[in-house]
Amino acid sequence: MNRSTTMKKGFLVTIIFCLFVFTVSVFGQTQDVLIKNATILTAANGTLLNTDILIQNGKIAKIGKNLTASSNAKVIDATGKFISPGIIDCHSHSMMDGSINEGSFSVTSMTRTRDIINSTDITLYRALAGGVTGLNLLHGSANAIGGQNTVVKAKYGKPIEELPIPDAPPGIKFALGENPKRSHFTPQPGQSRRYPASRMGVNEVIRDAFVRARDYKAEWDEYKAKVAKGDKTAVPPRKDLELEPIVEILEGKRYVHSHGYRAEEYLALLQLAEEFGFRVRTLQHGLEAYKIAPEIAKHGAGVSIFADYWGYKIEAWDAIPYNAAILWKNGVVVSINSDDDERMRRLNLDAAKIMKYGDVPEEEALKMVTLNPAKQLGIDKRTGSIEVGKDADIVIWTAHPFSVYSRVETTMIEGEVYFDRSTDAAKRQAMEKERQELEKADVNRAPGTGGGPPRVPSEKRKSDHDDAEKGGN
Amino acid sequence: MKKTIFALLAIISLCSLSVFAQSYAITNAKIVTVSGAPIDKGTIIIRDGLIQNVGAGISIPADSQVIDASGLTVYPGFFDAASSVGIAAPQAQAGRAPGQGGGFQQQQAQPTQPQSNSNFPTGMQPEVYAADLIKANDGSVETARNGGFTTVLSIPRERIFNGQSALINTAGDSVSEMLLRSPVALHISFVPLGASYPTSMMGTFSALRQIFLDAQRLQAWTNAYKKDPRGMKRPDSDKSLEALFPVLNREVPAAFNANTEIEIIRVLDFAKEFNLVPLIVGGQEAWKVTDRLKTSKAAVLLSLNFPKRTSSNAPDADPEPLETLRFRVEVPKCAARLKQAGVPFAFQSGGASASDFLSNAAKAVENGLSKDDALRSMTLNSAEIFNVADRLGSIEKGKIANLVVVRGDIFDRAKAITHVFVDGKMFEQKPPAPTGGRPQRPGGGGETPTTASSASVLNGAWNVTIEVPGQPLTGTINFTQQGDRLTGNVVTPLGTSDIKNGKANADGSFTFDQTVTFGGSTFDVTYSGKVSGNQVSGTVSTPQGAVPFSGTKKP
Repeated sequence: MNRSTTMKKGFLVTIIFCLFVFTVSVFGQTQDVLIKNATILTAANGTLLNTDILIQNGKIAKIGKNLTASSNAKVIDATGKFISPGIIDCHSHSMMDGSINEGSFSVTSMTRTRDIINSTDITLYRALAGGVTGLNLLHGSANAIGGQNTVVKAKYGKPIEELPIPDAPPGIKFALGENPKRSHFTPQPGQSRRYPASRMGVNEVIRDAFVRARDYKAEWDEYKAKVAKGDKTAVPPRKDLELEPIVEILEGKRYVHSHGYRAEEYLALLQLAEEFGFRVRTLQHGLEAYKIAPEIAKHGAGVSIFADYWGYKIEAWDAIPYNAAILWKNGVVVSINSDDDERMRRLNLDAAKIMKYGDVPEEEALKMVTLNPAKQLGIDKRTGSIEVGKDADIVIWTAHPFSVYSRVETTMIEGEVYFDRSTDAAKRQAMEKERQELEKADVNRAPGTGGGPPRVPSEKRKSDHDDAEKGGN
Repeated sequence: MKKTIFALLAIISLCSLSVFAQSYAITNAKIVTVSGAPIDKGTIIIRDGLIQNVGAGISIPADSQVIDASGLTVYPGFFDAASSVGIAAPQAQAGRAPGQGGGFQQQQAQPTQPQSNSNFPTGMQPEVYAADLIKANDGSVETARNGGFTTVLSIPRERIFNGQSALINTAGDSVSEMLLRSPVALHISFVPLGASYPTSMMGTFSALRQIFLDAQRLQAWTNAYKKDPRGMKRPDSDKSLEALFPVLNREVPAAFNANTEIEIIRVLDFAKEFNLVPLIVGGQEAWKVTDRLKTSKAAVLLSLNFPKRTSSNAPDADPEPLETLRFRVEVPKCAARLKQAGVPFAFQSGGASASDFLSNAAKAVENGLSKDDALRSMTLNSAEIFNVADRLGSIEKGKIANLVVVRGDIFDRAKAITHVFVDGKMFEQKPPAPTGGRPQRPGGGGETPTTASSASVLNGAWNVTIEVPGQPLTGTINFTQQGDRLTGNVVTPLGTSDIKNGKANADGSFTFDQTVTFGGSTFDVTYSGKVSGNQVSGTVSTPQGAVPFSGTKKP
């Protein structure tokens, strides 16, 4: 290479570098934010009084007293206010279009909630108003092995590809008990009753899937070995979207989040997992988990539960509000989830209930809706607590978030404000004005006479009832 | 002897000329060529199905039948860029009504297609070709033609893989005569199968992903086997997977039904995953994603079936969502915005009638699209998107003689189509019967389709969603209306049952009862609703309470 081309190359590299720096400085960098004089519930290192947080590039850069920021930083005076990490809901079916259940087969591991998420779903904005910044979007519970989950930040209105957390380990939904065994109990025309129809059948379906996945992997290994030996006639096996994620579970690359209620079923699942050499990541709902807390701790599974919601079906009967406390005392990572668009925006109060039942310390209770779900989802390196270096997923509350009088003032994700109470009020006014304008348009006017009967308002999904007849959540 | 034969031949050929080589001369017409400047007063000579000549001051051949078009305007024949013209709607299963014996298990869902040897269920078979399904004598062909549509893209009606479309001219004694191109595109909708996997939109994505992966594998295997079969396991012959090869090889585009922003994003992502050539069918929110559409080089077949509020709310009902109100107002602006952004698009009816098509195209003009561009969007743009611009889409010498002759401007309310030419064949339209008279017979050749008979607005099949909380039911209501008498049936995953006590009113509202068997018990429900244009909505009163339903007419 002669000198002139080297120089040209150097020049080009310089230009590209300059362009890169320029692009980053203009588009990539968010404004610095300095939050002053707050009471900070760190969910990691106790409560800090009269403390500041400096946010740079969407990350928590500094935590301390009397911090200073550059002149163009946005400064928020949080005197008298409380700050907590963003709430993470470890069990959600929000922001999905269409059914959350692909109920046809007992194993639908090929489905992905990622395919149907919608960042403009209003439930996401309501979640932000309740301080939620992260969600585990799960397939429903109609199947022994359901679809693949998506772990997202609640970036309402952003392009859909910006919501999934890129380094969140992939997961999958399992379900035990009434839902998988009773889905398709009364088949529709053209359907036959689906196997399994018993709890032991559910266990067998799961075992069978792992046996098939093992065979599938062996088939691929055999093919790869043939190719390595130079066999030109080897035909690659079919890439099977059902079995690939199950192979990933066996390889420890995919987390199992298993819906279930009864202790003996959970024990059977943990034994099955140990037999196949993987660990169940979370037991979801787990109303009877308190009965087998030491066994769960020994296995290393987390548990994600309701604070005090039960009795909605037979298998949800034998529940106690001390579930979280007992699990916590046994060293199990516990999170409190919503499984519901409405409960999702009050998870702070559900965490408060955990303090009441069993004297769980304040910070441990807060962790159950912040750091613990982050751990269960494998995203605790970046979010879940207020620590330097983590994503600035932060909620500013008017009072302690465990108080019923507390309201969310501001919810930030990566330093960007996604909900702000004062802006929200202004937005409401603007939207009301827009509505009045829009309603004047011909296409929006109700037909003058003889109009059809009114459309009764109905919520899009009633996910509050984990009802097997409807597939379950 | 030789002379005699020669003379005979000459006579025969003359006869055939007079029969088949009919020539027309449209004179004194305003000619909107689309490809070039309009001609204020010109002549078009039609011969052998082609435009033999066009321009001002052209001499008229002696054998041409002259049509004096003084005061009339000639446009290129219009395209409907997405329809199911010529393909009959699947007949609802007669089936026994629930309660007449036979439980659910015995009431197998009937496939709409004859059983084939495909390894995939009906609705997941990409090898369904419109060209095999179109019937030349189907009433919809004439209806389209009467509306000025001389060329239509006809799409089969199956569920997920709708099938592969064909571009046809709307006149001919046989389908082979009508066909211009087949297949044009493989059409994909996100309408899950009723009774078997996939039964959800989420599952539909997975099922599509798997079948495309399987097709990729089979193609690589087949190619390797063709090269050297010795020692290699023989690949399956799978006509469903094989039908996907041209789509994977980018020879046939994948046309996705996608109307809203998120739907379009999802399908563009899917097309990218398999490097398919995407076409967007619907696209009423395409203006929100113009950058993505341009990056994906995706054209839009834009639906002119504009949304409109069809029912009034009860005083205590929640107001309509803001996004619904916004959507209805923004839809007519979409075409102008796509034009401005440089996204190629063509108009399609989306199941709307010909008169709605034209009046909504006019609304697109009111909302910023130039008249020229609007006309282009139903002529030359369509021809370009379907790769037939060298023979159709404009009035040029040598192109196929597909023409529409109109009294008045096509985008004005007061207009009348007087003649339609398809492949040089003339279809003359009598002026519309005076309004206010007795109800007209639908489908009569003489009327323009703008006067849809009010006596039968309910007739046809309606896709509806019944909003049972937590478990919306999708189904089809098949109406047969005779005066105020309403018969037919309702097909849902719960079964098929006949309409009872059906009553239709002049304003499009209706009521009827239906017997439903669910969870072992049998009870009656009452539907009351209203049809407006192609929309239907209302409520179903059940012993458990009232639930709303809404839907659209099957195109």
